[in-house]
Amino acid sequence: MVDRTAEPGGARARRTGRTGRAVAWFIGGRWLSMGAVVVALTVVGASLGGALTPQRANAQDAPKAGGTMTAAIGADPVNLDPHLSSAYSTFQVLENVYNQLVGLDEELQLVPELAEEWSVSEDKLTYTFTLRQGVQFHNGRELTADDVVFSYERIRNPDTKSGWAYLFDPIDTIEAPDPRTVTITTKEIYAPLLTKLASSGTAIVPREAAEAGTLEAAPVGTGPFVFVEFVPADHLTVKRNDSYWENGLPYLDEIIFKPIPDESVKQTNLETQNVDWADGVPAKDANDLMESDDVVVESIAGTAYTYMGVNTAREPLNDKRVRQAISYALDREEVAAIALYDLAVPSQNAIPEGNFWRSDYAPYDRDLDKAQQLLDEAGVGDGFELELMPAKDYVETVRSAEAAQAQLADVGIDVTLRPLEWSTWLDEEGQGNFDIYICGWIGMVDPDDYFYAQHRTDQIFNFTGYSNPELDELLDQGRTSLDDEERKKVYEQIQQILIDDLPYIFLFTTANVDAWQPYVQGYAVRPDSAVIFKDVWLDK
Amino acid sequence: MLSFILRRVLLAVPVCLGISILVFLLIHLVPGDPARVMLGLQANEQTVAKIHEELGLDRPLPVQYLDWIWHLLRGDLGESYLTGEPVARAVLGRMPATLTLTVAAFVASLLIAIPIGIISGTRPYSRADYGAMVFAQLGVAIPEFWLGIMLILIFSLYLGWVPPSGYVSLMDDPVSWLKHLVLPAVTVGVVNAAVLSRFLRSSILEVMHQDYIRTARAKGLIEQRVITLHALRNALIPTVTVIGLQFAFMLGGVVVVEVIFAWPGVGRLALDAIYRRDYPMVQGAVLAVALTFVLINLIVDVLYAYLDPRIKF
Repeated sequence: MVDRTAEPGGARARRTGRTGRAVAWFIGGRWLSMGAVVVALTVVGASLGGALTPQRANAQDAPKAGGTMTAAIGADPVNLDPHLSSAYSTFQVLENVYNQLVGLDEELQLVPELAEEWSVSEDKLTYTFTLRQGVQFHNGRELTADDVVFSYERIRNPDTKSGWAYLFDPIDTIEAPDPRTVTITTKEIYAPLLTKLASSGTAIVPREAAEAGTLEAAPVGTGPFVFVEFVPADHLTVKRNDSYWENGLPYLDEIIFKPIPDESVKQTNLETQNVDWADGVPAKDANDLMESDDVVVESIAGTAYTYMGVNTAREPLNDKRVRQAISYALDREEVAAIALYDLAVPSQNAIPEGNFWRSDYAPYDRDLDKAQQLLDEAGVGDGFELELMPAKDYVETVRSAEAAQAQLADVGIDVTLRPLEWSTWLDEEGQGNFDIYICGWIGMVDPDDYFYAQHRTDQIFNFTGYSNPELDELLDQGRTSLDDEERKKVYEQIQQILIDDLPYIFLFTTANVDAWQPYVQGYAVRPDSAVIFKDVWLDK
Repeated sequence: MLSFILRRVLLAVPVCLGISILVFLLIHLVPGDPARVMLGLQANEQTVAKIHEELGLDRPLPVQYLDWIWHLLRGDLGESYLTGEPVARAVLGRMPATLTLTVAAFVASLLIAIPIGIISGTRPYSRADYGAMVFAQLGVAIPEFWLGIMLILIFSLYLGWVPPSGYVSLMDDPVSWLKHLVLPAVTVGVVNAAVLSRFLRSSILEVMHQDYIRTARAKGLIEQRVITLHALRNALIPTVTVIGLQFAFMLGGVVVVEVIFAWPGVGRLALDAIYRRDYPMVQGAVLAVALTFVLINLIVDVLYAYLDPRIKF
């Protein structure tokens, strides 16, 4: 019953390793065709279907400033240095303390943050960012381009041992020609650069605090809230940044984050008004709570998905037909319902329904005859033994495994379950000691986020051992093409290949849910699971 | 007496050393790698190796152990792998919450167990006795995590008497402190009370048949005084042994309860550290609990002398 405490990140963190809620894709694609055009604020045409506009009660009321809000989160933040943490719970806090060069709005559109505008050179290799003027760190010093260069160099310096360093692999140089300008050149055309720079792990830190080694315990950012204190397992307090660069924001005077590991206790805290906001509710109660007037529960189609990662080096799984047979034998409706009740949507693809980049290719409706036929062709028609490795800390992966176990028995596959605790799971996954593991990804925005690091030969998240030169080429093409329609065609091919080859057997996509008291206004549940409180105010 | 205490303290040294070796071996031998937990899914081999080297995890286990002990002897418990926080500070910071909870649970268990034990013991096979023993059976059988959740639902969600979880320091707000303390203390206390009340019952039953009770009654003492002055005090002697063990047992029991009630104690610290393979933190936390255990047993032994004048050290 202590599942959620297990992983430093708490519930949602793990499924993912959270590559960052990085990545909004630049929609519209205007700037690409026009060479060096300054891209300011708004972006054209929202084709990102997954991002629905959240409803807000009393949107017409003028926000009231002031007040303290208590926010329940699933786990303690682990290490408050944004460059050194990969835990979701850390970023639930830090999203409100730091800024990136660019940000993502609640529909995952790219917006200026510390850079007020940027331009791209004609050869599409050099990005020039102009910093916002008069932005102050919480220590009172003004932000300069040197801090941006320092922060990025710090992340990609191997001595820092940052888990975010891979984001900078395609980057060649990072320079500050003057105190308000940063230029970044990439080795090749790198379409997802801006969305990667919106990752919460690329936050801009002040050089002096990083060099003093104090960021792990006392974050100093440019964000809407200033870190006050952290009493582990008890609370973390932030207060209003009076000199925040966005006019009039934030509204709240203070936020107290309280880690409450047990989901049902967190829910009771919400129902008894002991907390004002909570990061999610137990999946089994979500529907009931949504109908209740006492608390507001909102969900939004997320950019997260759960899948089976297949060890493509092991027999008989190295035979594509066996992987396809497994996919045909699965009843995804049932898997999704058992795993997360109404919060999961069965899916044969990583990209959720309604998303601009999603391909409609979905051949695997449950068909036991077809599955049996494929197994016969592969020479394992009499069945075989298979081990599923879900992560114990993420109960939906265990439930998925249980559902799959029963379903695969129908075609004679004898499934045993090996649920592992997160740290052991990571180890076994990293060393390839599995037949099939079950996990998830969260916070994907650009199509590159969904596929490149997971499926390209020898990339860092490729734990399945899958290698396909044709796919590698397409993945590279997807990165270097800057036209949306052209890119979409590339990614449709990529999806088709992956759905046919099945290094990942996709199971379902998931909704993101948060809950709060009716007097909490201005909060938007985001598809990327980021928690941002700068627009929140209390109507009481 | 003093030499007895000194002897016991010296005896505790090899015990703690043994514990330290066990803890060290167990946490290092379970699968899982702190470097991978730190990096999450974004781990790559070079970075993992680099972290191993930096933390000294690439050295042989005995070397790592001796290094840890060497630092320990100089009062240095090391730093958390994940947060860089000194282990000693983290453990000491969490100790008050755990001790508060354990002592409160202990008091709660005595408040429940002593009356029940006396009633059952003095009126065996009565309805009250049967009722009390049903309670005792249930108390032992009910898992703490379930009882904790039920108490939260009843007293917090439906009745609204106390907050569902959290911790407030006694210094900050005594009333709020008590409100936050009641449910977790009762949760841990009930299990303990169940064991104690059964023990006390049989022990009182036995004492009530002793000659000195008959003598006490014969000299005209009222029954209440017979029970409190003569029966209870004697019945408590064997019970105290159990109480001492139970207290230590409760230190283990609070882990689950600390998680449910979001209580910032050592148990939760150790549990989180185990999950994260934060070796120095696990070692420090377990060692602290072990030391407390040893200390409590020492106190129990000293209490014997007070309760039973026949015992001299």
